[in-house]
Amino acid sequence: MKAEQEIERSVAKHCATQKSCTRASSEMDKRVLSDALRVYREAPKSEPSLAGTNLRRIIMKSPLTKLAAAAVLVVAVALSFHFFAASTTTAYAIEQTIQASHSVRYLHVKSFMASIPNEPIECWVEFDLSGQIKNMRIIKPAWMDPADGETVIVWKDGEMEFWIKKKNFLFIQEDQEIAAQVLGMMEMLDPKHAAANIQQAQEEGDTQVEIDEPKNKAEPITITVTYQAEDGTPAQRAILFVDRATKLLDSIEAYQLRGGKYIHFSTAEFYDYDKPIDPKMFTLDDVPSDAMRVDQIAQEIGLPQGDLTDNEIAVEVVRQFFEALIAQDYAEAGRLFGGVPAERMQKRYGHIRFVRIVSLGEPVLNPATAELKVPYVVEIEENGVITKWKTKYSYVPVRQVHGQAGRWATTGAPLGI
Amino acid sequence: MLEDRLLIWKFKHGSEDALRCMYEKYKNDLLALAVSLSNDAILSEDAVHDVFVSVAKMGARLELRGSLKSYLLTCISNRIRSLKGTAKRRENEHEKADISRPDSRRPDELAMSVEELHRVGDALMQLPYEQREAVLLRLHGGLTFREIASMQDISTGAVQARYRYGLRKLRSILNSKVQE
Repeated sequence: MKAEQEIERSVAKHCATQKSCTRASSEMDKRVLSDALRVYREAPKSEPSLAGTNLRRIIMKSPLTKLAAAAVLVVAVALSFHFFAASTTTAYAIEQTIQASHSVRYLHVKSFMASIPNEPIECWVEFDLSGQIKNMRIIKPAWMDPADGETVIVWKDGEMEFWIKKKNFLFIQEDQEIAAQVLGMMEMLDPKHAAANIQQAQEEGDTQVEIDEPKNKAEPITITVTYQAEDGTPAQRAILFVDRATKLLDSIEAYQLRGGKYIHFSTAEFYDYDKPIDPKMFTLDDVPSDAMRVDQIAQEIGLPQGDLTDNEIAVEVVRQFFEALIAQDYAEAGRLFGGVPAERMQKRYGHIRFVRIVSLGEPVLNPATAELKVPYVVEIEENGVITKWKTKYSYVPVRQVHGQAGRWATTGAPLGI
Repeated sequence: MLEDRLLIWKFKHGSEDALRCMYEKYKNDLLALAVSLSNDAILSEDAVHDVFVSVAKMGARLELRGSLKSYLLTCISNRIRSLKGTAKRRENEHEKADISRPDSRRPDELAMSVEELHRVGDALMQLPYEQREAVLLRLHGGLTFREIASMQDISTGAVQARYRYGLRKLRSILNSKVQE
């Protein structure tokens, strides 16, 4: 009698064998690719690819959130030496730097704003053997978002965990768009692709590169890259400091041209090249057990859009959110509010007796956040009297759920959480 | 995973290379799953063809709930399911191909003997399609029950039940063959 596990093993072996024996023929390759590429050329495309654009343009124009932008900036700066180092042909041993940096597996970066020198954005990165980011931990200082305070972000395979200590709040989500943008930027900075990007930048004539290798061997090599002003953004300059011995980057200083002078606005410093980072750094094991945990990966959030328009689904989400509060169904209200646990919703809204929805208005798009703000009027009962509920916000914001295509949820509620 | 995210991102931004890379990366795996599910080489090639053409047609509209691999594997199983009628017709016309039967000239390279492989393959083909699909997506594709459920819009419990029933039936078939 074969046990179930034995059957599983047999089938698994069957599958492994099948995989090792099955190969698509060249005729099949030709047929599939020919047909697929033909229809692909007619298919809708997203905004123009990042390929061929420069680092600064991406950072300046990226529609990322403040948080993600900070993360991207740090990563981009950390990796940018590939780009810069490969873009020149002087006596300076560029190939050594490229090779040295290419094999880096671990890196610790601190990025300082010149105006806030004591609170850096700090980032620990582990790369895989192919140079791709494997794990990342970012500490976002409180000045970036005083309401949240310091936030720790751990990123693994595009899955992000945010730990907001001040609010005792753990938030887990998967945002492919942000992950893809980071990776797109990395690809652009990758030496394998650098030549084409640099060639284009040089053709466009918007980048100038100068290398200074001082005679005094105690001084670092510097690479100065100047970007011309463009699309309303001022000209910028980056100075890279390269270690003489290791040929790795020590730091990068960034400047903006204001009033005819280049003003220093940020510095990134690189530490601990290839010093293995404790794997615990890439987990959030120290989150208290009583922390509010919102996991947007483990559960389905909000409502599916179905055939509704964006405005219709936004209004529907808000309608169902208030209906859940009226029914005192806090689990459902929480599911519509980004996956907030029922207990938390009850704690925040349980003391209010919602009576009815009076009206829900036409949504208004907030282009900065891609949220649709749905105006509402609801009635509550207080001491036996029915009144209109008055709160700080007269609308409920609704948007597509990150990482859950086609689903919409509220991103804030009148009383928050 | 990260590489796939980049592929998808590039694909959505109009990179034909990304589409080619996706195909090159997964074609054999998808074809092998299709063969295991259908036991029909021609139909399997058609399924892989149709899946890539439909993915290509989506362009920027492509939205994935899970990984690219799990998405493509699920597409294949869905496509095979819808092509099953054609498969039956082909079988009747003796067009059934033999790529599910590995090349017997290189048995030393196989993870299991050809005889055992055929036995398991035959047993799999005796399962109802839903059970075979659950077993193969799990054991061939390495998908979690949750991933399969999510991709197919059914409950995780339903997937687990299909998987368990499938294994039980396989056990029964294989044991009876052993006794013969």
